[in-house]
Amino acid sequence: MRITALVLAASAGLAVMTATPAAATGAIKCQAGPQSGWKSTEALTAMLVKEGWTVRKAKVDGGCYEVYGTTPEGDRVEAYFHPVTFEKLYVARRGQVLFRKAGY
Amino acid sequence: MSALRTMRDSLPLFWLLLAVPAVAQLTGWWSGRTDTMDMLHPTGETSARLMIAAMLIGPLMGLFGPRGWLRWLLARRRSLGVAAFAYAILHTIFYIIDMGNVADMLAEVLAPGIWTGWAALALFLPLALTSNNAAMRRLRAGWKQVQRLVYPAALLTLLHWAWVHNSYAAALAHLAPLALLWLLLAARQIAVRLPSPNLRSGV
Repeated sequence: MRITALVLAASAGLAVMTATPAAATGAIKCQAGPQSGWKSTEALTAMLVKEGWTVRKAKVDGGCYEVYGTTPEGDRVEAYFHPVTFEKLYVARRGQVLFRKAGY
Repeated sequence: MSALRTMRDSLPLFWLLLAVPAVAQLTGWWSGRTDTMDMLHPTGETSARLMIAAMLIGPLMGLFGPRGWLRWLLARRRSLGVAAFAYAILHTIFYIIDMGNVADMLAEVLAPGIWTGWAALALFLPLALTSNNAAMRRLRAGWKQVQRLVYPAALLTLLHWAWVHNSYAAALAHLAPLALLWLLLAARQIAVRLPSPNLRSGV
């Protein structure tokens, strides 16, 4: 009986803890059409490096490209880019929004 | 059967269990499968989960009374708390490795997601340092006051999580079991205080 209660409580707790997806950080969303029409993350990284960024990681998040890196100004940020136009949409540093394109 | 009981009651074995996530996380990093940047989330999450687990034991005791399995948990509350602190330290170490230099760390120290993390760590420090019998004896009644720092520390931890993650969902999901138990405790307290409606109508 005690064991049942313990297992029940533990599984309920675990369910709650794992119920939320960890992947999408959900800062912003892009509606950029099918991925076949997107440019590559390599191309985005190359463009940013040319602009003076240091790119640590580039991945898909919320239908946008999410880049972790350092801006030409030297800020360690998390930035979102449109996967088709490569337009800069959002830049934040640990919860502090440094830039947000109107409409996003 | 008695071997099982010995295992269940073994504190070293419990500590071994608490170290399993760290071993898995560190193995991933050593082998190069996990980037330094990606060590931050699992270490921080493990720390927060252990902290919440330790915080659940008090209200569970309040609700269910001193049952056998709760006594078992209560005897391990200190271990859970100290392990939460150890994971917070691991989390901080990987943050420092990832940032690579003090200037970059100072540049973002006032960002909402960062100062909350440092502040939570600062509150964890006295909690961890007084998690021993000698401190309990020395501080007497003050010991409980010190340990109550876990509430602001937890709040800061969850804010830190929500803000670095750009989402309140995961942090709130971890707060949910605790909030539920607090609500149940409060509801029972109110129910006890109010005179029973049956008594009032004289039935």
